[in-house]
Amino acid sequence: MPSHTLTRALKNRFRTSKPYLCLVLLIGLWLAASFQSTPSAFAAGRGVAGRILDSQGEPVTDAELKLFVDNGPVPVAEALSQPDGAYLLVLQLEHQVSRVRVEVSRPHFEPYMWVPAPAELAVLLEQGSFVTHDIVLQRRVNASFWVVTLVFLAMLVVVATERLHNTLAALLAMVIIFGVSLLGETVYPDLFVFRFERALEHVDFEVIFLLLGMMIVIGVIEETGIFQWMAFQAYRLSRGKVWLLALVLMGITATASALLDNVTTMLMITPIILEVALAMGINPLSLVLPALLAANTGGLATLIGTPVNIMVGSYVGLGFNDFVSNLTPGVLLALAGLTLFVQLRYWKEYHAPQHALAADLLARLEENGRIRDPIKLRKSGLVFGILLLLFVFGDALHAPPAVLAMAGAVAMLVWVNPNIRAMLSVVDWTTLVFFIGLYIVVGALQEVGLLSLVADGIRDAVGNSLLVALLAVVWLAAVFSGLVDNIPFAAAMLPVIRFMTRTIGGAESNALYYGLAIGADLGGNATLIASSSNLVVAGITERAGYRLTFRKFLAVGLPATAITTALGCVWLVLRFT
Amino acid sequence: MGVILCATRGGEASLETQDAAIALAKQAGDELIFIYVYDVEFLTHANYALREDLVADELNRMAEFLMTMAVDRAKAQGLSSRSVVREGEFRAELLSALQEEQARLLILGRPGEDDGRFALEHLSELARRLQEESGIPVRILPD
Repeated sequence: MPSHTLTRALKNRFRTSKPYLCLVLLIGLWLAASFQSTPSAFAAGRGVAGRILDSQGEPVTDAELKLFVDNGPVPVAEALSQPDGAYLLVLQLEHQVSRVRVEVSRPHFEPYMWVPAPAELAVLLEQGSFVTHDIVLQRRVNASFWVVTLVFLAMLVVVATERLHNTLAALLAMVIIFGVSLLGETVYPDLFVFRFERALEHVDFEVIFLLLGMMIVIGVIEETGIFQWMAFQAYRLSRGKVWLLALVLMGITATASALLDNVTTMLMITPIILEVALAMGINPLSLVLPALLAANTGGLATLIGTPVNIMVGSYVGLGFNDFVSNLTPGVLLALAGLTLFVQLRYWKEYHAPQHALAADLLARLEENGRIRDPIKLRKSGLVFGILLLLFVFGDALHAPPAVLAMAGAVAMLVWVNPNIRAMLSVVDWTTLVFFIGLYIVVGALQEVGLLSLVADGIRDAVGNSLLVALLAVVWLAAVFSGLVDNIPFAAAMLPVIRFMTRTIGGAESNALYYGLAIGADLGGNATLIASSSNLVVAGITERAGYRLTFRKFLAVGLPATAITTALGCVWLVLRFT
Repeated sequence: MGVILCATRGGEASLETQDAAIALAKQAGDELIFIYVYDVEFLTHANYALREDLVADELNRMAEFLMTMAVDRAKAQGLSSRSVVREGEFRAELLSALQEEQARLLILGRPGEDDGRFALEHLSELARRLQEESGIPVRILPD
């Protein structure tokens, strides 16, 4: 075969097989990359490999490693630790060496130096490679630690006292941390926290997308009037029995909160509950408060019920069914206790004589409790039903809940309400921005080591007992959530719980994460300021002439929290210990 | 025959105000208009997705319901009355309603026990400002 014919044949072969070659090349590059990033892969190469961990056993990323030989001033090898803590120092030793030392440095950690023992050095020189023991870096409390801690505490105070909107508070905290970090890079190294790229790694975008998707889904459903219709049907079903009306309303708000969200449920349902109560001549708070407490409790039952559950689920990788099997029975138990408490607490109100509704009031109530858009309800109900099924079977499909929620949102946009501008306007972007800012602030807390210190402290206090740890986490979360916004608290606690889960025997069942969810969610019933739903309900009742004061709420909310949290603990103990 | 505007909500304290306003209107032979002003300012407390338009719509329905109850109450006491529902800032909406209805008197409800120690003080100050700006007498009832 002439040479030019051979060349043409090869060229043709190359052209037709080019996509495959590209694929092979890509796979080759990927393999090469993975070969360089893991110690086990390196074992066949030439150099020193190992892992860098913190005192909690968490991998330390971006630690700078330098290898020196024979006391030389210039490192012969340099590397950065990977996200899994692994590092690889590639050696080009051209002559015999008598001494090797590895220096490790990382902001917020004490510097570390490793010098191989003579036997280790012999192995390295003889075999050309050596895998070290895990290098554990000790935390260093410096100026950035105090700055970030103070900024976080200030953020909590500002949010709790409503000096600033929580989104603005989180953004302000984030900007201060970035500013301080910038000073650290240029002026005073002890102030360095993290770079912007590193900060973004702390943002959990699965949470952001799950919230975004559910906001659109809920935004369509709440337009249909389904909440108001259910409240009116509860009135009809109860046939004038107030205790039964309270019971049915609690069931409705608990279920709606578990599947949608508690704030929307209470915003839509509270006005019509007030109307029913006033028309019947009973104190509206005796119906509104139980419905509110049930809504806050019911939200705990599912992955999508509360922002805290969404955060926990995403952080741990828990699916919809995990929450249903591990929390829903506990929630039912808590709701049973809550119902008993409410029936006793409002016994007088529920059994006092009421007057029949006047015809015009009944007509108006009926009008306010009708389905506003039946076609939209049918369509959105179908989409939501399918979405719930997907959540249930999503685990088997390995589909992240955020993807399913976004699919549900898109289905709503395409089929139910194609007005993209209107539907995107129902998304509460401030909430999403709040989460982004919050994750970065909490990421800063992780970077400077505050959360490690807290984890060590709690671990020392509870020892190795899962029962003690469980009770401590639940009640600590409940108390904090009664006083400050439970979302920043839960976000900060997640890395702490991760450490405890790894170190306490039996906690690998994720019991402590469920404990955090129970405490943080049920703590929202303790005080008026503990939950957004409490505050919006107070706003509505005030507009109907019934002021829900802090003290008035506390008198009902605190015992309700104690009862439901205690029952939640009972469930956790039965389930996990 | 003049017009009396009675700002009311619907709580137990409001019922006494409504009764006092009904009695006053009957005595003077005036027309009684119940007015309810609402806003959605409280939604700033929430940190989760909210539809202000839908909440405002629900509050409007609740306000209409409460005003129906007030009108029914007046009717039961032998007085024909009507009601007005407005959305916006309380003082500004009252001022505008006073002008539109050409009212001769504005009645505000006395704060209830739950409204706090300084509520009456604040309400008196509001009444004084409203009277000053509208030139229409303002009374806090029941006395």
